[in-house]
Amino acid sequence: MEPISSSVRLKYVKLGYSYLVNHFLSLISIPLMAAATVEILRLGPVEILAVLRSLHLDMIQVLCSCFLVIFVATVYFVSKPRPIYLVNYSLFKAQPVFRVPFSTFMEHSKLNLRDNPKSVEFQMRILERSGLGEETCLPPAIHYIPPNPTMEAARSEAQMVIFSAIDDLLDKTGIKPKDIDILVVNCSLFSPTPSLSAMVVNKYKMRSNIRSFNLSGMGCSASPISVDLARDLLQVHPNSYALVISTEIITPNYYQGKERAMLLPNCLFRMGCAAILLTNKKKEKKRAKYQLLHVVRTHKGADDKAYRCVFQEEDPEGKIGISLSKDLMAIAGEALKSNITTIGPLVLPASEQLLFLFSFLGRKFFNPKWKPYIPDFKQAFEHFCIHAGGRAVIDELQKNLQLSHEHVEPSRMTLHKFGNTSSSSLWYELAYIEAKGNMKKGDRVWQIAFGSGFKCNSAVWKCNRTIKDQRDGPWTECIDRYPVHIPEVNKL
Amino acid sequence: MVNYNNKGEDEERLVYGHRLSSIGPAKVTGEVIYEPSNIDLAMKLHYLRVVYLFDKEAVEGLNLSLIKLKEALFSWLNFYYETCGRFRRSDDTGRPYIKCNDCGMRFVEAKSSLTLEEWLNLPANSLRLLVPHHVIGPELNFSPPTFLQMTFFECGGLSFGLSWTHVLGDAFSVATFMNSLGPLLKGLQPTSSPNFHKSPSNTYNSAKAVTFDPLSMKKVGPVGDNWAIDPPCEMDSCSFHLTTQQLAQLCESEGDSSLIQPFESISAVIWRAIAKIKVGSEPNVVTVIKPGPKADDTFLRNNQVVSSLKADFSVAKAHVRDLVALICNQPEDETAQIAEQVGQDPGGSDFIIYGANLTFVDLGGAEFYGFELKGSGPELVNCFVDGLGKKGVVLVLPGPKSVKHKDEGRLVTLILPKSYLEELKEELKKEWPLIT
Repeated sequence: MEPISSSVRLKYVKLGYSYLVNHFLSLISIPLMAAATVEILRLGPVEILAVLRSLHLDMIQVLCSCFLVIFVATVYFVSKPRPIYLVNYSLFKAQPVFRVPFSTFMEHSKLNLRDNPKSVEFQMRILERSGLGEETCLPPAIHYIPPNPTMEAARSEAQMVIFSAIDDLLDKTGIKPKDIDILVVNCSLFSPTPSLSAMVVNKYKMRSNIRSFNLSGMGCSASPISVDLARDLLQVHPNSYALVISTEIITPNYYQGKERAMLLPNCLFRMGCAAILLTNKKKEKKRAKYQLLHVVRTHKGADDKAYRCVFQEEDPEGKIGISLSKDLMAIAGEALKSNITTIGPLVLPASEQLLFLFSFLGRKFFNPKWKPYIPDFKQAFEHFCIHAGGRAVIDELQKNLQLSHEHVEPSRMTLHKFGNTSSSSLWYELAYIEAKGNMKKGDRVWQIAFGSGFKCNSAVWKCNRTIKDQRDGPWTECIDRYPVHIPEVNKL
Repeated sequence: MVNYNNKGEDEERLVYGHRLSSIGPAKVTGEVIYEPSNIDLAMKLHYLRVVYLFDKEAVEGLNLSLIKLKEALFSWLNFYYETCGRFRRSDDTGRPYIKCNDCGMRFVEAKSSLTLEEWLNLPANSLRLLVPHHVIGPELNFSPPTFLQMTFFECGGLSFGLSWTHVLGDAFSVATFMNSLGPLLKGLQPTSSPNFHKSPSNTYNSAKAVTFDPLSMKKVGPVGDNWAIDPPCEMDSCSFHLTTQQLAQLCESEGDSSLIQPFESISAVIWRAIAKIKVGSEPNVVTVIKPGPKADDTFLRNNQVVSSLKADFSVAKAHVRDLVALICNQPEDETAQIAEQVGQDPGGSDFIIYGANLTFVDLGGAEFYGFELKGSGPELVNCFVDGLGKKGVVLVLPGPKSVKHKDEGRLVTLILPKSYLEELKEELKKEWPLIT
């Protein structure tokens, strides 16, 4: 009984401490205000007027004080960043004709890699432990034996996923394409000329003075980067809409060689796309789903090992693939620590920051052997969207941030249903939370993504209005089947 | 393993641009096992290759873009997930079963530089280019039970070529299977849900006690996991159409004009013709395969009745009437015996039925022409059997139902040793001068 009751006691102590620290100001000010009110009531109106006259205020002093107050207020309001709202977002849902059951993937792999049984065996082991389900989707060109990745097929996939998401978004929000002022498209591995953003402008006949940007090569963490860019633009351009598209085009990047380090992405990457509408228009505050609070970007590219850990190159046979180094998880851990160090002070309550400070000082000056205090991010956020890069990434973050199963459920279930959709996975996870009816007004969401570079990028959102059982997204038909239990090893 | 016969340059001109992919059920089937019965396993070395030819009117107006086509196919396979599974062997007896893991049916897209008219004028053997020739093996786990090829013709017509393992069902089941695709291609939505308990029962009612080895079955192999036999000799195919009028004449000549029995009459004539050619080794034991009792369900089954016939007299010199009577009245139903034989060692023993003796198969009642696209069925449906024994097979199929032919009749497809097929055709022309 002893250990249990002591941990319960500790929990209550922590709770009391955090309440005390976080509401310190109100706890101090309430007795002060009470005392002041009592004093004023005691003095009576005549006495108060006498006090005021004794201050010998004359006109100029009063005017200057007023101007000072007005000046400070103006500077404050003008330099305050505009609030950025997320009006709505839409996700691409692939039709079942594109689905790839495990057995089909393995059989095609065996036929395509006929002369390399060891590579096939490797892929089978990866797939068994991947955490993917039987409904993840690959684009049409990859279904052929052998795959047929032409540029035309890649463009066709891009059109299918991007236009489908945008059509749905325009329908949901009622916005016309001509209303869009800023367009940011991020797609890491497919960058044709004209760009994908030009493809969107062409399809939807957008205005000729649209500010369009196409971000390529920025990896799976590119979605917070696009959101960051859109936010900065929305600070400069008042009264605007920004459309952000996050996607990854699988067709041209299916590795057709036999190097094991490069076969891993084939097993995990699947089709996906997210279209997000951001705005700084005040009138959208009422119907916007979220408000953007922070974007924190951490780049570890200065370190050579980090730079090379996700690297696209030619294999000894000249076939291009993305090579993943064995240090990936360690580097991801380092990047995460950097990101947390920056984001912590912005989002953590004072109680956690103080504890972290004490633990930091203690380790520096008293005893270096003290365990470093990991701030409890569960106090800062209600929901976590961890990029569904793979089972290992989610496991690692769950351990590092001490998250419960419920917290990482959106990530795990997105990996199961959709696979690793690269930069758009954060949005599928967000849609899962909404579909489950768990998103309430005031809830804070932390989207955290890792990607080549090596980068760790976060976006923090606050829910603007309670989102009732969202029934118009990619989870609609299947949300009642989730969560599912995902076995450690799924024997084929 | 796909086995393309003698892919010469000429053939490449006729059908080209093959692209392979897989199609499967749109919805996850889950943990479902399909266990074939003994009769199903008896047929495991046989493959049906069925070709449907459609003209462009049947296809016009249908949205057959690849994605719409695949949507229909995936929706179709929700109901026939067992065709998309893969064979495994049970740990104790080695008995094959199907793990319905949605691995898929292999799908081949191809093009042809010929028009439908030109295809209809080619000899029957050429139709084999429109259907894949797969066998199961050498790895059971990675062999699709079915292949489907769609060939798009120059004129706008198209063909469906289904390569089907006989384990899954007989030709009647194939017809039911393909017919259910028609409404889905037209864009209609299915009204029922799939049934996940489709394994056939393994009980077989037999009036007689099992006492003898069936004549219609021959043990071969062992073939292990490669369900194919080496062709015993070079086989060739030919087909000819007999109109209802010709069939009526045939029955009249037997003096029995009250009842037209097309299958029995056709079989009798061909049996006698073969006996005449093969002087000294005339076949007096034949196998007759007829449809079993019509089932109410639409499950895929091997429901045929396999019987053997022995003629005590010289077939070459017999009157057709007597042979017809023999075929009608005397076949020894050996289906139960076959099931029993297989049941003794389901994992190890391998048999052939088609071609063990000269085999006559009555498929006249199979509803191949019920596969309707835009209100009209196929111009022609032909069927071949592979994995045959050297005695060969005669398939009596329903005749094409088109305005051109005006009547139905029968399409007779012969798959026999090349050594005497030409001679047989000459012999048959004496009976039916109009056959080509």
